[in-house]
Amino acid sequence: MALIRRLRNLFRRDHLRDEIDDELQAHIAMRTDDNIACGMRPDEARRDALVRFGNRTSTREQVTAADAVLSLEGMVREVRYALRQLWKSPGFTITAAATIALGIGANTAIFSSMDAVVLRPLAVPALDRVVVVTEQDQRGPRQATLANYEDWKRQSAAFEEMAVRTEAGMSLTGAGDAANVQAALTSASFFPVLRVQALLGRVYDESECQPGRDAVVVLSYGFWRRQFAGDPNAVGRKVVLAERTYTVIGVLPRTVQYPSDADVFLPLAPTPQQLADRVGRNYIAMARLRDGVTVKQAQAEMRIVGERLATMYPAVNQGMSVRVEPLLDDINGDLTPLYYKLVMGATLFVLLVVCANVANLQFARGISRRPEIAMRAALGASRMRLMRQLLTENLLLGLIGGVGGIAVGAVYLHFTLLAMPPRVARYLAGWSNISLNGRALGFSLALAVVAGVVSGFMPALDALRVNLTEQLKAGSRSTTGSGHARRLRSIFAAAQIAFAVALVIGAALMAKGMTAMLHLPDTFAPEKALTFVVELPEARYGTPREQAVWYASSVERLRALPGVTHVAVTTSLPYSDDTWMTDFEIENRTYVPGKLQNAQRIAVSEDYFAAMKIPIVEGRSFTASDTADSVPVALVSRGFVQRYFAGASPLGHRIRLRRPEVRTPWLTVVGIAQETNYSLWDESHPAVVYMSTAQLPLSFATYVVRTEGAPMALAVSARRALAALDPSLPVDGEMSMAQRLNENLVGLEYVAVMLGIDALIALLLAAIGIFGVMAALVSERTREVGVRLAMGARRRDILAMILRRASWLTGAGLATGLVMAFALAKLTANLLRGVRPDDPVVFVSITAAIAAIALGASWIPARHAARIDPMRALRSE
Amino acid sequence: MAKNDLQGTLDLLVLKTLAQNGALHGYGIVLHIQNASGELLRVEEGSLYPALHRMEQSGWVVSEWAMTETNRRAKYYRLTAQGRRHLQQAEESFDQLVKGVRAVLRYA
Repeated sequence: MALIRRLRNLFRRDHLRDEIDDELQAHIAMRTDDNIACGMRPDEARRDALVRFGNRTSTREQVTAADAVLSLEGMVREVRYALRQLWKSPGFTITAAATIALGIGANTAIFSSMDAVVLRPLAVPALDRVVVVTEQDQRGPRQATLANYEDWKRQSAAFEEMAVRTEAGMSLTGAGDAANVQAALTSASFFPVLRVQALLGRVYDESECQPGRDAVVVLSYGFWRRQFAGDPNAVGRKVVLAERTYTVIGVLPRTVQYPSDADVFLPLAPTPQQLADRVGRNYIAMARLRDGVTVKQAQAEMRIVGERLATMYPAVNQGMSVRVEPLLDDINGDLTPLYYKLVMGATLFVLLVVCANVANLQFARGISRRPEIAMRAALGASRMRLMRQLLTENLLLGLIGGVGGIAVGAVYLHFTLLAMPPRVARYLAGWSNISLNGRALGFSLALAVVAGVVSGFMPALDALRVNLTEQLKAGSRSTTGSGHARRLRSIFAAAQIAFAVALVIGAALMAKGMTAMLHLPDTFAPEKALTFVVELPEARYGTPREQAVWYASSVERLRALPGVTHVAVTTSLPYSDDTWMTDFEIENRTYVPGKLQNAQRIAVSEDYFAAMKIPIVEGRSFTASDTADSVPVALVSRGFVQRYFAGASPLGHRIRLRRPEVRTPWLTVVGIAQETNYSLWDESHPAVVYMSTAQLPLSFATYVVRTEGAPMALAVSARRALAALDPSLPVDGEMSMAQRLNENLVGLEYVAVMLGIDALIALLLAAIGIFGVMAALVSERTREVGVRLAMGARRRDILAMILRRASWLTGAGLATGLVMAFALAKLTANLLRGVRPDDPVVFVSITAAIAAIALGASWIPARHAARIDPMRALRSE
Repeated sequence: MAKNDLQGTLDLLVLKTLAQNGALHGYGIVLHIQNASGELLRVEEGSLYPALHRMEQSGWVVSEWAMTETNRRAKYYRLTAQGRRHLQQAEESFDQLVKGVRAVLRYA
């Protein structure tokens, strides 16, 4: 009811204001009438009426405040007044708004990229209802077999729709340079599961997922832009993939890039034999949950289905359980969300530092504004009213900062996007979605409001503690803050130092760990090697013999180039994190199914160990006499010997890789290679089995061309040499080995750089913060210092007195900061190898550095205090 | 505990005045409070109006413009049923306050 009355007033506010005036006028007129009736002179009568009535302006304000609309109008007036106040002190306004803009800008940029990459990597409806179904054994999650997928589909009720996909590398010819493309082979249900529609053309349907009818291709948005230059008439064009002609039927939207590295989508058209295959684990099953079914319920159902299949087909399904997890988790993995949380958290801390800083500016400004506030209070403004006014000012300040922050954020984001190598961005599903969208703007706005209120609340409260009489008596001369404010300012300054310490130490640990990891591959002299990737198309290099011939002749060609010292081929480079674990058995030992006996399988060419400077510690390396027709041989790592031969010599023993699909020959171990790490992250050094590309090649390989000079100078001649052998074979990703290995660290580099930026901002603000507090302290104590000097204190004592105070602040900040830093360091240590959460060098040096910076910033006001002229100081009061 | 404060006391006085006299304008309310209290209570006259408007927004009183005996336009306030209920509560709560304060003052 009251609300309706208030709303009604909206439409007649002028009328209402007039009414209030009339009413008050009538009151005064009636009192005047009565006074005259009692015998007063008219002017006397009116004066008496006015005195009895009290402050008319204030009364009118209070009456209007009782009406909603009029108080709304009051708000407009308040905003105007606040703008005027801010305009009147441009120095303060610019500093505070710029500080807030910096804080909000960093947050906006990081939130935008986190939102796109981690929170909403695919812009599909109800992404949280899409799950990935995998199998799991003791080694961890495994891909599914097609026959199992078919059974799951038939036996489950939790899903509205199920889809399956697999991946294949293919070479594309007939559209520009020969190129390797990443193909996703999917069932037609893949698109309805994601609920994605084609941007152009259409997606394929069930009838096209039949062998023979499947020569259609849907392009990913990125691929369409890259390879077809965004041609709107691309639909209908023919492309040759793996030497088969396909018709382009559609293009997917930019915001749905899944799998993140897929260039083209092809119908998965399995033959009946493939459908019955229970061995080849090459498939990823996805599903959309039926309405009302939770992930947990789906998981429970699938566990039962999985158990049933395990009893039915023990040979292939024993020990396997079925796992249902949200697609979002599958896309994100473990590390990316953790990185983002770390950086986002740190950046929010920076915003806190910003707020503390602005609050301190406000405290300082509050002192000079006392006369104004006292005057308004004396004129009848209520505390509530003043508080609202001050908070309005702060909100405005926050919003101005917020607008600036969005601009800063846009620039920050621009550089973030520029710095990401496209080869790495391809593996981040949501990277192409990053933009300053409505959500990011909403986030910034919310932060602006929070920043305004948080930074303004305490100072506003303090400003209202003004003692009216004292203030008006003292006039505008007094510049002493209240003891309460001084204490708060000191706390804020100490808190800023604390945050800065924590952030700088966190960033330094990160940077230190990063550098250590960047230099891990130095033993391989990675900057003196050209690397590139070749994938052999199945049509022309279908047999191991054909592949072996290619590797041998290509290596020979490359070695003939001038300036080349070694040429090697390998399926995995050290620290590349792309090895495959394979189970194996040892001759004359019983193979226990399910017992973990596996190793990384790497196929390398003859010269690999020499080219990579990996010593052979026992036996021999591969030689030219190891050919497809000689006895198959293998080298193993030292770790392999320790783990599986208990240190005894394995030379002469035979091992065999157990690959479910193919029967591999027994390999005679002929040598032991020095331990080499193929993972940057995993320090457990899994065992390695090296095979020869001359005997058991794989269809893909990375070339390592060791050069005397700059590696990239050789790129063109290397490409030409290979083209002379096979002009239609795509050669990809030519870069130095150092570059290639660094790409593995791009994510971390981002984290380190962003943390570094956060730390720098925090440090700068903390220095400004303590400077401000000390400067205010000195100016408040000018008179006291004057007295001390006049009483015979030496300037050195004054300097010491002020610095002692600064040391207290700094010390408190450092102590708190160190505690926070330990917590942060523990988090960082989880992300990086080689980071000790208690790294004494980092902790001590940074603590010392920040103490020096803080005391340095305090030195200026302290020296100023020591130079105070006692005569002038005393006269000025 | 009796819920009361100065604001509440002014509201109580105004509501009671209206309950006893029917429709009154602001000036009339001031005069009545002064007379009825034997000149003991003197409200700052202007401070009455914020209270009246607040009570009108809360629906305790309604107002209408009418002519006074001396032919001036004035705004007359009248108690609503809701206002009457509130007055009852306020009176009880004030009685308790007075009892409580008196008990403390007489405590030997």
